Amino acid sequence: MDSSETTALADLVRRAQRGEENAQRELIVSYQRRVAGFVYAMIGRNDAVEDLAQQVFIKMIRALDRLQAPAQFESWLFRLARNTCIDHLRRQKLRRIFLPFAPEHEDVPEPTGAVDSEELDALRHALAQLRPQDRALLALVQEGRSHAEIAVVLKTSVAAVKARLHRAREELREHYQPTHES
Amino acid sequence: MNPEDRAWSRLQNHAAAQLSPGFAQRVLVAARAGAKAAPSFLGQFTLGAATAALCFVAVTLFQAQRTGGDESSTLADWQKITAASQEAELGQ
Repeated sequence: MDSSETTALADLVRRAQRGEENAQRELIVSYQRRVAGFVYAMIGRNDAVEDLAQQVFIKMIRALDRLQAPAQFESWLFRLARNTCIDHLRRQKLRRIFLPFAPEHEDVPEPTGAVDSEELDALRHALAQLRPQDRALLALVQEGRSHAEIAVVLKTSVAAVKARLHRAREELREHYQPTHES
Repeated sequence: MNPEDRAWSRLQNHAAAQLSPGFAQRVLVAARAGAKAAPSFLGQFTLGAATAALCFVAVTLFQAQRTGGDESSTLADWQKITAASQEAELGQ
């Protein structure tokens, strides 16, 4: 993102912070695709994408006035997305402890045709083998976040981010086995 | 683009396709509705404090009533014993 784009984004964020509905809508439209991608990478289910993406943007609107640096909006938004997905996974885990379903009802598979390419299916499968924190890390990198930004999001050092990223990539490659498509 | 990057790009396309039309408008409506319905922190705190105070008063009253009842029955018993012993002393 160049400096003029950064300035335009900061301006849009400021307008949204003042409560301008058009600016808020513009922010949602601009980021809905990327947030949906992030959520899907984290959760791996079609049926959760819209609900969780909606939760992320509702939190965004409610917390926007607490964002001190509008220029850091993207990092802040993806931190919200990460926390929302991790909370969702935690709640699911707790629900499984207190309300265990029969094994056949526990992980209902996605319907046939839910994933439209073998490559994507392979990636989804590989991501599912990783820890949620590592999935978030890979998805943030894919989102174009720098190591320094990720370190801020994860509240850790840049060196730790690099090390974890290296491990996560290795693990992803280990599990990522697409059947060749033309 | 390497196969992995291509898969990530497909993942984003696939995820975006899960959002139904009018997504942004629905988010805005839900955010406004939630903001109106959601109680404020002060409201929640006041409700919590009032509930705690009410519980405290109820427990204190119940305890006072129970202790008071026990004390009066003990006092009545002692009065009976005292009266009986006075009668016994007078009889001697």
